[in-house]
Amino acid sequence: MKKKKMIISQETMDVDFVRKVESLSGTSVRRCFQCGKCSAGCPMATFMEHPPNRVVRLLQLGQWQRILAGRSIWYCASCETCSTRCPNKVHLASIMDALRKLSWDAEGPSKESYVQLANKLFLQNIRTYGRQYEMRLAAVFNVKSGQFLKDLMLGPKLLAKGKLKMFHHKNKNMTEIEKIFTRIEAMRHKGEAL
Amino acid sequence: MSESTPLKYAYYPGCSLHASAGEYDLSTRELFKELEIGLTEVPDWFCCGATPAHNVDELLSLSLCAKNLELAEQVEGDLAVACAACFSRLKTTQHVLAESDVKRKQVEKAIDAPLKIDGKVKHLLDIIAHDLGLEKLKSAVKKPLAGLKVACYYGCLLTRPTDVPNLDCVEAPTIMEDVLAAVGAETVPWTHRLECCGANFTLSRPGVVIQLTNAILDSAKAAGADCVMVGCPLCHGNLDIRQKEIEGVYNTSYALPVFYITQLVGMACGLSPEKLGLGALIVNPMPLLKSKGLV
Repeated sequence: MKKKKMIISQETMDVDFVRKVESLSGTSVRRCFQCGKCSAGCPMATFMEHPPNRVVRLLQLGQWQRILAGRSIWYCASCETCSTRCPNKVHLASIMDALRKLSWDAEGPSKESYVQLANKLFLQNIRTYGRQYEMRLAAVFNVKSGQFLKDLMLGPKLLAKGKLKMFHHKNKNMTEIEKIFTRIEAMRHKGEAL
Repeated sequence: MSESTPLKYAYYPGCSLHASAGEYDLSTRELFKELEIGLTEVPDWFCCGATPAHNVDELLSLSLCAKNLELAEQVEGDLAVACAACFSRLKTTQHVLAESDVKRKQVEKAIDAPLKIDGKVKHLLDIIAHDLGLEKLKSAVKKPLAGLKVACYYGCLLTRPTDVPNLDCVEAPTIMEDVLAAVGAETVPWTHRLECCGANFTLSRPGVVIQLTNAILDSAKAAGADCVMVGCPLCHGNLDIRQKEIEGVYNTSYALPVFYITQLVGMACGLSPEKLGLGALIVNPMPLLKSKGLV
């Protein structure tokens, strides 16, 4: 991919988006002085086109489109090493959460559809069963991602060890759980929550 | 804790313990029975949302956890949590909601009730090491794990981030090593005990998991460990279930059994392999245990 030149001007800096990130994550990107400790300790930095410290730098410059156009945020493992080590208390793991939320909402360009699909199915499972139905989660993921044979060799072994449950218990309080989802949707609809 | 007050907890096993990590649930119940610690499962508990929920929807994650914490209030005692991910989410929820009025109000609206989330949340390790105490644990040991060299694997969420789980030091924890020393096992110093196994990608990007987990197994082996001990079903899934696959990819052999804390402590307290679910482990631990004279 040819590198696009970055032009910093009032027109190209979207500060409103950055404010949203700051409000959702409860942390300020302006506190970062680019020491790079977050990226040094990040187990996933090698998979990212923008390592954690650069994600923060791009936010400082209002260049969020560059972040969402790549897969960096979807390759964050949420291991919290960055947040733990930051000398300026920038909660980078929360910034990553906020970025994924805003990207997910906009259904904006993402190169990392597998992670998004897995997250989506996981949340659907809560809404349908209350507790995770691991076997169904894996099976539906394979079908929807077109990887029918993925981890197939693990199946019989796990079944033999009693680690795959064919039948799943559905919670008795499903109505309660469903209400949490619908109330949040209603709040967002009315603009009471991001 | 005085002799007269028996320990009692509400128990939140988490989804994995009812499926792929059944042996963690079994060994927890058996060990706590043996140590005379009461466990009552929270009625109708449901998924905490784990990493996928907070990954894309923090409000949902906080609300799911707040509701579960409210359910836990119905049961007497602090909340005992087995899974490191559930533990982290429940503690994070308490932490975030104590700090942000805005989020507090949003969550109260989402669960349509005033928040009741201030009960103490404790990982099993915390209960064994601090509430029961290492002295009492020592007195419960019937068969010390002499000669077993264990690599204690903390992973990410038991200790990080600062000020949230508050289980132990974020960069140099010793709680697992302390517990194992009390039951007579040897622990090895090693480099990868706090590194991430990539749990969240086990479904979506197994290639990532294989790479990260290989580094962990490699480090444990290089340090001379006979086995690994974990306190999280997701770490266990990657280290144990995927170990054979990893050996294939990297053309190497680790043969490192991966135990849950409750299995090793349970063994020292004289519980049988059946009661601890050792048969459910994918990497067979029996040859190692036999060679050390532990079974």
